[in-house]
Amino acid sequence: MMKTTNIFIYITLAIFGFASCSSDDNNLSTDPFVVAYEDRSANLKEINVFEDIMLIYSTSAIEAGGFSITVTAENAVYGVDFTTEPALINGKITLPINQGSNSNNFKFRLLNPNLDETTNIIFKIDNIDYPNASIQGNTTFTINSEAALGGSIQPEVGGPNEQFQVYVDLSSKTTKQVLRDSWDLAFYSYDEFRVGINGSIYMAAAELEQSNIDNITQADVADLMPQVAVGTFDPSNEIYIDYPDGDINRTAIKEINLEDALNKVYLVNLGYKVGTETPTNGSVAVAGDARGWKKIRILRDGTSYILQYADLNDTNHQEITIDKSSGYNATFFSFDTNSTVSVEPEADRWDLNFTVFTNIIEGAGSYGFSDGVLHNRKGGVTVYTVSTEHYDYDTFLLSNTVESNFKLDQRTIGETWRNVMNDDKVLNHNIFYIIKDANNNNYKLKFTALLNDQGQRGYPEFKYELLK
Amino acid sequence: MTKNHFIYLTTLLVSIPLFAQQEIVKDTTEVQRLEEVIVTGQHNPQSVGKSVFEVKVISRKDIERQGGNSLADILNTTLNLNITPNTSTGKSGVSLFGLDSQYFKVLVDNVPIINEEGMGNNTDLTLINLDDVERVEIVEGAMGVQYGANAVSGIINVITKKSSRNVWDISTYIQEESVGDEYEWFNKGRHIQSLRVGHKLNKYLYANIGYTRNDFGGYWSDRMGEKYDRNDDKRGHEWLPKLQQNAKALLSYSKNDFSIFYRFDYLNETIENYSKLVAVNENPATGTTHPISQDELFTNNRFYHHLNLTGSIFQKINYNFSISYQEQTKDLERYSYIIREDVKENIEKGQYQQRTAFFSRGTFNNLINTEKISLQAGYELTNERGSGSAVAILITPGEEKTTQNLNNYDFFASSEIKLSESFSFRPGARVSFSNIFDTQFIGSLSAKQSINKGWELRAILGSANRTPNYDELYTYFVDVNHNVQGNPDLLPEKGLSAFFHIKKKTSLSEGKIRLKNKLSLNYLGLNDRIELIVVQQSPLAFQYNNIDKYRVIGAFMENELYVGNLKAQLGASIQGISKVLKTNNNNNDDFLFNLQLNANLSYTLPKWNTTLSTYFKYIGEQQQFVEKTNQEGVQVFETGKTDDYSWMDATISKSFFNNNVTTTIGARNLFNVNSVETTAINGGAHNGPATQIPLAYGRSYFVKLAYNLNL
Repeated sequence: MMKTTNIFIYITLAIFGFASCSSDDNNLSTDPFVVAYEDRSANLKEINVFEDIMLIYSTSAIEAGGFSITVTAENAVYGVDFTTEPALINGKITLPINQGSNSNNFKFRLLNPNLDETTNIIFKIDNIDYPNASIQGNTTFTINSEAALGGSIQPEVGGPNEQFQVYVDLSSKTTKQVLRDSWDLAFYSYDEFRVGINGSIYMAAAELEQSNIDNITQADVADLMPQVAVGTFDPSNEIYIDYPDGDINRTAIKEINLEDALNKVYLVNLGYKVGTETPTNGSVAVAGDARGWKKIRILRDGTSYILQYADLNDTNHQEITIDKSSGYNATFFSFDTNSTVSVEPEADRWDLNFTVFTNIIEGAGSYGFSDGVLHNRKGGVTVYTVSTEHYDYDTFLLSNTVESNFKLDQRTIGETWRNVMNDDKVLNHNIFYIIKDANNNNYKLKFTALLNDQGQRGYPEFKYELLK
Repeated sequence: MTKNHFIYLTTLLVSIPLFAQQEIVKDTTEVQRLEEVIVTGQHNPQSVGKSVFEVKVISRKDIERQGGNSLADILNTTLNLNITPNTSTGKSGVSLFGLDSQYFKVLVDNVPIINEEGMGNNTDLTLINLDDVERVEIVEGAMGVQYGANAVSGIINVITKKSSRNVWDISTYIQEESVGDEYEWFNKGRHIQSLRVGHKLNKYLYANIGYTRNDFGGYWSDRMGEKYDRNDDKRGHEWLPKLQQNAKALLSYSKNDFSIFYRFDYLNETIENYSKLVAVNENPATGTTHPISQDELFTNNRFYHHLNLTGSIFQKINYNFSISYQEQTKDLERYSYIIREDVKENIEKGQYQQRTAFFSRGTFNNLINTEKISLQAGYELTNERGSGSAVAILITPGEEKTTQNLNNYDFFASSEIKLSESFSFRPGARVSFSNIFDTQFIGSLSAKQSINKGWELRAILGSANRTPNYDELYTYFVDVNHNVQGNPDLLPEKGLSAFFHIKKKTSLSEGKIRLKNKLSLNYLGLNDRIELIVVQQSPLAFQYNNIDKYRVIGAFMENELYVGNLKAQLGASIQGISKVLKTNNNNNDDFLFNLQLNANLSYTLPKWNTTLSTYFKYIGEQQQFVEKTNQEGVQVFETGKTDDYSWMDATISKSFFNNNVTTTIGARNLFNVNSVETTAINGGAHNGPATQIPLAYGRSYFVKLAYNLNL
């Protein structure tokens, strides 16, 4: 009996002994402490006396330290043409690392506004006085008159509703944000008289047989209406959208004819308002309520367009003259405001448009895509894709570019940078892109995020670098 | 390191009893000669041989020998039944006659057990702990008259212990198990600890309590667990780790022919889902990273109360009342895990799915009780309330959750009519009123004929319906590109089964050799099967509808042999499945057949107090028609195949100190099966089909040391 009782006690102890502790293995790597420039360059022509040059730390500093910066100037003299705050002492700018902070900055002051293209000023991080520190990343900051060297951009498309279109200009490292449903029609400014519809809100348009807009009623088009939409899974619906490659000659609305009688009335599905619901993490809710229908007819008047439009059952219509906008791809019109609206930056001031867009799935017709990145085909931008199997992003040089690879199709980036087919929404890590802008600057660009820290969609981020 | 731990532990556990082993042990492993008494589907508890239904029994001994902690551990080698683990949810279901767990009902003491997705059906077998279980009864075929909705392909009735011959029963065990070849003290392998105390308070009153802790470290394979910061699909686990804690209590009173018991069961389970995706968060400026993952913790809490009364009125009519209240809540905690800093951010907690049910069942037996006729009548009442959050199912955007009340009021009757000593039959019927569906009528008819020389013939006709699930009723996924909707007007699927069994019992050499042979023919059909179909071509729209048909025909045989201390069992089954998919033009509804074999062998060495057992099952190649697009772009149906595989467990169990201590050493999955290749899965709308079905985590070993003290 004693024996068995002992065993019982032993086992009981073993049970509760096991249950009361746990171990802690890990396979983590650690990063060094880094001080680096937030941006890599600034354009001399855009500096108005002062430029704040930001330096960021890889993590918040848990103790105090410091770092120093050297200055190299070509065709500019410190103290004469420019100066800094704090000032150069013994050839170096010295800045403290304050405990708890995660950034610091110094001021560049331009003394001579007449510095020209030959000027090149380089600030280089020289030493970091902090435990386990490393000089890496953006170690230099360049001030000259050239295109931006690159950096990292987070186009703010608005999260899982992706309610904004964001136009990005790589060479000036600037963005412009426009509400997706703030416009309906794009009247192109080039020689052709072409009109586009807003694919980012899934608009569709069908040519009718009539050319008298006031004669059309909803009853006349009732049978057609279910077909004139995006995402019906009917391959024949492709004719109701602007061809997604961005070819100006393949719009849903035919070229506007000089002869009025040849310009038919179009049935226009205004698509959807931007979504407002909060979807589950990783998903998008880009489409809200349907925006309804219009009937429109477009005519030419000299170098301008005339737009006639009305609700389906109206027996009279409104009319507005729309001029082409020189320097821009198009003039944009909104039925909500009954006026032209500002959408795109000048044609040579944007390279990429982050936007929801209408695409075509082979055999299934038109289909709405989120997370799209369309390049400025009409403005002369071309792009191609590089697989990391062939080149590493970090080591890709200008000499590796192949001119014949550059593609016109504005969907070359499109949605190819991410994969959202499965429950896990992921970046495609194995590709990056080469972009040639209208001024023949070549950039390499790689996406670094699709989701934010909470796992929500609509927070893209990319890094890019001017190829030299 | 991993293996060393395991070997060390094994040695430790096995060696303890050996030190003290030299006592003379008398033969207590007497072969059970009496036939098992069963309750499933019976008017009164009776022996398997007298039952009109064909009931399979897994005894306590078999459970012990297999080192069975939960139902999922012991059913792998049962003929016709397949265990279907889901590696992404951590649940294990049942597949029987090709139908999944929605069609299969699990009961504990005749009461359906709740889970977050069903009442009795959709049961996660890993949540049914077996520590206080006396036996498990399995019936194949539709049992709707006896057990209501969703008992379509069959049922499992888990019968718990309610009394003891001893004043005190104290039992405790630890079980250490490898998961494949993975084992560590804490993070890997499976670690089970259990303690049970039973006490007879007086002649009439008995109570027991028990606690079991089951820590499953998950199956890692080449994955790296939680603390891993690279984005190469290696973070997390192949099978999710989970920790289960289960507490039970029973109080029973029994005097003359009246007895009452109250049983309580609380289960807590935590499932850790560490995402394999790591957002590296590269900072191009500094060239450093800040890895974050979106992790999920699921917590299940299940409460089970069951009060049962049995007795008789006028010493003639037997009654049996059960009242049960059950609740299962699954909560989800989601957070962003800053991997290198071990910090959780953006913590969101909420209910994922929940179900509560009030259940009552009452039967009156022998309402008419003559020599020839006995009549049972009864009612079954279920008030069920279930809800699913927007995270769990696709519902109308903006709605946080969807809730459904399902109230069933059922009445049933069956009578057993003995036309002669050898022939009896049993017609039965059930009417079911519900707040959602139209009144349902179902019936059953069984007959049993005994012939001299140990022959028994049974024919059983049964029916049962399957209630549409949440997705089928309430899914709402409508946007620019999609239109998939649930259908609140769905009807229950209607199931009908027919079984024919021929059984022969043979006893040779004055009972030293006993044989049981059984041949069965089966049919199971489902009408109004719910399928997601295209209801509109342009724009394309999908909706669930009652449209298709499903049929199974088959034959199986089971043979048992008892010779002295040897018990052998051999079975074979061939089942053909045909599906009619009305909306598919080229649908092929040919029967596709699948072969299964099983063999169990156990041999007891009385002198050594040792039992050796092996359990084997072979599952032949499984075929299924899959829709594919051929090179010309035309939709065709091809025969997809899932490879065959075999399953084998082997255990040695030895008792010491007057059977006070038992050690069991075993190996599961000796053929080292991980997953099988398949071409039998249809691809989704956006992605290609899966090509592998995960079945298990490879060969694993366990050691169990149990101590029983009976006073």
